[in-house]
Amino acid sequence: MKYFLKTQSGREFELEISAGNADSYSIKIGDRTIQADFTDVDRLGQHAAIFDGRSFAASIEESDEQHLLVNIAGETFTIIAQDEREKAADAVASQGPPRAEVVKASMPGVIVSLAVAAGDVLEPGAPVAVLEAMKMQNEVACLHGGVVEEVLIEAGQSVEANQPLIKLAPAPQE
Amino acid sequence: MTLSPDFPIKKVLIANRGEIAVRILRSCRDLGIDTVAVYSDADRNALHVRFANEAFPLGGNTPAESYLRGDAILAIAKQCGADAIHPGFGFLSENGAFAEAVEAAGLRFIGPSSHAMAVMGDKLASRKAMVAADVPVVPGGTDAVKDAAAAAEAAEEIGYPVMLKASAGGGGKGIRVVENPEEIETAFTTASGEAQNAFGDGRMYVEKYLVEPRHIEIQVLGDKHGNVLHFGERECSLQRRHQKLIEEAPSPVIDEATRQRMGSAAVAAAKAVDYVSAGTVEFLWSKGEFYFLEMNTRIQVEHGITEEVYGVDLITQMIRVAGDETIEDCVGLIPRGHAIEVRLNAEDPENNFLPSLGTIRNLRWPGGPGVRIDSSVYRGMDVTPYYDSMLAKLIAYGRDREQARRRMLRILQELHVGGVKTSAGVALQLLQTKGFREGNYDTGFLERYMEDQDAREVARDLPDDLEEIAVMVAAIYRQRAGARRHIKPTADGHATNSWVAQARREQHGGQVR
Repeated sequence: MKYFLKTQSGREFELEISAGNADSYSIKIGDRTIQADFTDVDRLGQHAAIFDGRSFAASIEESDEQHLLVNIAGETFTIIAQDEREKAADAVASQGPPRAEVVKASMPGVIVSLAVAAGDVLEPGAPVAVLEAMKMQNEVACLHGGVVEEVLIEAGQSVEANQPLIKLAPAPQE
Repeated sequence: MTLSPDFPIKKVLIANRGEIAVRILRSCRDLGIDTVAVYSDADRNALHVRFANEAFPLGGNTPAESYLRGDAILAIAKQCGADAIHPGFGFLSENGAFAEAVEAAGLRFIGPSSHAMAVMGDKLASRKAMVAADVPVVPGGTDAVKDAAAAAEAAEEIGYPVMLKASAGGGGKGIRVVENPEEIETAFTTASGEAQNAFGDGRMYVEKYLVEPRHIEIQVLGDKHGNVLHFGERECSLQRRHQKLIEEAPSPVIDEATRQRMGSAAVAAAKAVDYVSAGTVEFLWSKGEFYFLEMNTRIQVEHGITEEVYGVDLITQMIRVAGDETIEDCVGLIPRGHAIEVRLNAEDPENNFLPSLGTIRNLRWPGGPGVRIDSSVYRGMDVTPYYDSMLAKLIAYGRDREQARRRMLRILQELHVGGVKTSAGVALQLLQTKGFREGNYDTGFLERYMEDQDAREVARDLPDDLEEIAVMVAAIYRQRAGARRHIKPTADGHATNSWVAQARREQHGGQVR
């Protein structure tokens, strides 16, 4: 299976994985082929990887199946990993009309202030609220922007992680 | 260390939580002293609760609802028959009124007197006390000057370079660094004019400008018999917005003669307030000179590295001192080897070091020679928004600095914390920088490192192709997840695949087990 991967440094990789017996795989990357042995240690994220004899303790966490955090030898890499179908679907979605968006709390905490009201038009990445946790203030921003359809919280309110804060409708097309 | 049978403290209440509560509890248990934990609702499952002999709830979640409730904590201490209270750091540790209330109730407060806290907690009062005790303070900055001539006179007395600071100050306006006497008149006129425009007040302060300042602090310990000793320095310059990330002892820039000079100054500072118990005198160090910054009248987070190089247990010494013992057994201790501490915080360095909350889903601790982990973390622990973000202190000890550095690299590679983001990754990077390797860093180093990725000078100890390795790991992980979706175990435990399931669905009219 072919995979397209992108790291937080902006580098892009194209790999082809073929499964062999049990936990063995062969990886095609560029013009190289690497033999891999890969096991799930504890079903909690720890894995043991051996690539052409080089051994690594790898830890993997996923926020969803395409977004992975991979820790190798103490360094953490944020990776978007897509197969061919997902990459194609992504390409189609990015060309389509803007989508509606729900801005969620990035962590549990208290809403210190709200920067928007219903009807406001937001640019992509515009701040919508300030969230406080552990005595630190964190700005919550929208991703795609749009028109504020509904404000679901009030200043001073406690929120859970991933709690919806603001509903946005797609910005009107020019 | 063993205590005499008539040692007056048999039971200690620990008025704190997290790593430091566990740390204090461990020394108590090693001494054969019973421990009492108090806890908030959020901390019901915490290690400090589980490891204590007795535990009592404070209720609530926020510090104000729980660990700051001095009256409630004192009531519990009296009720359970504790002889002493150890406040740890933060919370009530530098609250003079609480210390007095504890003593007034007939219990011992394991810490300094409220008088020492009051003097050292006040910027002006502590500066005055230090000047009287001949402890060097940052020259200047006490009286405003009104014209260029007065500024030049003050600068001559202080010594160049100096900093001109607007008396009304703020937002970087009205600030000038002046390198030599020729520049001072122009600098005063422009800076004062700027301040006049911005704040309507043109008066300026003249202060010594510290070039490449380092934060170096001296550990002190006093007893009730008038003895005060110092335990050398800790180098704490790797910090960001006054949050320290990596500390080491000894400092790479302090030689034995300077250590003795700084140590004597710290002892003089402590004696000026009749200091009892463990405390830390913080100095700013610049180009071989050092200046008093403040004194922290409590045990400090990074005390562990001093313990490693001096072979002393500072928590034990605090308890002994509170029980009227002397510190004479600490006389003549000398530093051996090198210790480095990394603070493992639940925070996201890539996102401005903001707290990273969640559940610790996975945990793999390092071990082996020269490794010390002071922690309160366990698998399944929720990292809540109520308290500070420190999860653990990782301490590497080595015969020399390079061995300690290499051990810390190993510690950070063996470590794995799953479920929250931590400061471990950025610490691992910093340990490989040219600046850290050479011991050449100041208090601005971490900030510059985070902000200017291009200027990072790193000589890596780790392989260069880890990104590619991580990408291969991610691809195989996805491949396996995809394979699992096609072969799911059925209720009777037999693996099946989606083709078989589809065939069954067709056979049984949509009924799939």
